[in-house]
Amino acid sequence: MDIFLQLAVSGIALGMIYAVIAFGYQLTFATSGTLNFGQGEALMLGALVGLSLAGNVLGGPYLNYWLMIPIVMVFGALQGMVVEWIGVRPGIKTRSEFGWIMSTIALAIIFKNTAENIWGKDDLPFPSPLPEAPFQILGANVQPMQVAVVVGALLMMLAVELFNRKSIYGKAVVATSNDRDAAGLVGINTGRVISFSYALSSMTAACAGVLVAPLTLTGPTMGSALGLKAFAVAIIGGLTSGLGAIIGGLILGVAETFTGFYVSTGYKEVPGLLLLLLVLTLKPAGLFGKTAIKKV
Amino acid sequence: MNLKAIAITLGIGAALAANAAEPIRIGLSGPFTGGSSPMGVSMRDGVKLAAAEINAKGGVLGRPIQLIERDDEAKNERGIQITQELINKEKVVAAMGFINSGVSLAAQRFYQEAKIPVINNVATASAITRQFVPPEHGDNYVFRTSANDTLQSAMIVEEAIVRRKFTKVAILADSTNYGQLGREDLEKALEKKGIKPVAEEKFNIKDVDMTPQLLKAKQAGAQVILTYGIGPELAQIANGMEKLGWKVPMIGSWTLSMANFIDNAGKNSEGALMPQTFIQEGNTPRRKSFIEAYQKAYKVDRIPSPVSAAQGYDSMYLLAAAIKQAGTTDGPKVREALENLKEKLDGVVKTYDRPYSHDDHEAIKLGDAVMGTVKTGHVVHAL
Repeated sequence: MDIFLQLAVSGIALGMIYAVIAFGYQLTFATSGTLNFGQGEALMLGALVGLSLAGNVLGGPYLNYWLMIPIVMVFGALQGMVVEWIGVRPGIKTRSEFGWIMSTIALAIIFKNTAENIWGKDDLPFPSPLPEAPFQILGANVQPMQVAVVVGALLMMLAVELFNRKSIYGKAVVATSNDRDAAGLVGINTGRVISFSYALSSMTAACAGVLVAPLTLTGPTMGSALGLKAFAVAIIGGLTSGLGAIIGGLILGVAETFTGFYVSTGYKEVPGLLLLLLVLTLKPAGLFGKTAIKKV
Repeated sequence: MNLKAIAITLGIGAALAANAAEPIRIGLSGPFTGGSSPMGVSMRDGVKLAAAEINAKGGVLGRPIQLIERDDEAKNERGIQITQELINKEKVVAAMGFINSGVSLAAQRFYQEAKIPVINNVATASAITRQFVPPEHGDNYVFRTSANDTLQSAMIVEEAIVRRKFTKVAILADSTNYGQLGREDLEKALEKKGIKPVAEEKFNIKDVDMTPQLLKAKQAGAQVILTYGIGPELAQIANGMEKLGWKVPMIGSWTLSMANFIDNAGKNSEGALMPQTFIQEGNTPRRKSFIEAYQKAYKVDRIPSPVSAAQGYDSMYLLAAAIKQAGTTDGPKVREALENLKEKLDGVVKTYDRPYSHDDHEAIKLGDAVMGTVKTGHVVHAL
């Protein structure tokens, strides 16, 4: 039983990391029908900027961990706007179907190379703001930072959802995601909504970066593997559902730890990817996604 | 004599002088970026230090040594590419390097085919010096100055089973060539002591969660974890044990001495044990002067990977001694000289007295390496 719980705890912590990145994919897909394939790199940049402020890599520490988070979020938002401005807006304007795919990937590579030049290619330790010693929940060991990741991710998603449902600006976002052209006709500046959704999406990724960095290691290559897994999560959960991201993330994270233990650590990534194939065949819109009928 | 004749004579004279001092071009490759870079960079800097010393004393055969450096990024395909470039475009007469066993096994065949001697000064897979054994491959052009995995595995098992009397061991190895070949060597060494590991687990490069692997080891009652991997993931194992609140000793291949393991694992790296050919403690005058020269030349206090630096340094001196003895840079002659080295070479790892023979291309023998351990962020001699 202890083992089972321990695997579940680690799986959930891992899954929430995936979920919060997957959530970022959804934010932009909902409003603009485009994705930022540099989501993993947004996370990486957030973590490295955070490390530079709160760690000693670039002459710091300048700030303590908690004060650094808002600055990283602002940085993330700006970074997202840059991606939208350079990579996505031209594509949407010309109604190009796939231009944004290549340009967001290209930007991701540029971000990674820039980070390698600033911070070097090596993985760096991120000082943990919370004690590293684990405590026990029903016999399973949990690190305070793991709890922080789960809580932080949930709070972040909750905040975005609340914003969308309660505020007038949020309603503009929802309207744009429901029908961009109709929203435009009733006077919503859909271009600005799309910029905003990119800012929001990279902001959550950057914030996720500083949350997960004390658990993973920090380095320019940390984002690619996580970004890819989160993409699988977004597809499994459905690109239009916030709940889908959470459930999808949990499924993938828990499947990895359980397969690793009960089957073989050599196969731990297989079930998640099998599920991805299964979902794509049986329910292409994702487990929680709305099935869209594309009219010709 | 007219002016033209003088000019021609001067021209020939200059050409002859240039020929006499034409540098000896030697290839130097390794991962200078990425997770293996502490090893690659230290190795490169060790080689460069030795080359600078040799050149300051007039070079070899009256010619200076020129190193052609290339970054293989620890990627097999990149290793193949730069090896071909070094041979065909840069026309090197010998080579040193290879940190990652997979890269070495993929790329060193081009040196073998071109009959150019190559010294693996860090890569450790047992298969490396056996990839082209005579007679079926003609003569073997692959030499080594590092402790191979058969030797390291024997030392790891000796430490765990004989000295520390553990009976239940778990093996955690990464999924690369390095990890999986090392795992096989560990299994063989354990078998000799009549021990079967209670758990054998794999992990991938960049894995961020080691819970399943560690839980399996814990569940099987492992008293010790034997590792074969590189720095960042080894740190995840050490940190993962803390996550689970379960702590058993880590004994593993020499990579547990890498700076990116020690830095990323922090206090969790304390007490990890690994075989070392060289430890940054100046316990002989030769070692002391090497450490000081390295610190001075590269302005560091702690050498990122002292083993790589020392092995790289020694490999340059061995190669220079062989070229001197051969009296030429001709590949087969240099190989023969390496296999029959007359000069007794006082290196930093050991004193090389006929380090190689025609059938033995391993410079490091059992007894040349010692166990090191991590203590307050540094590798020191284990007690």
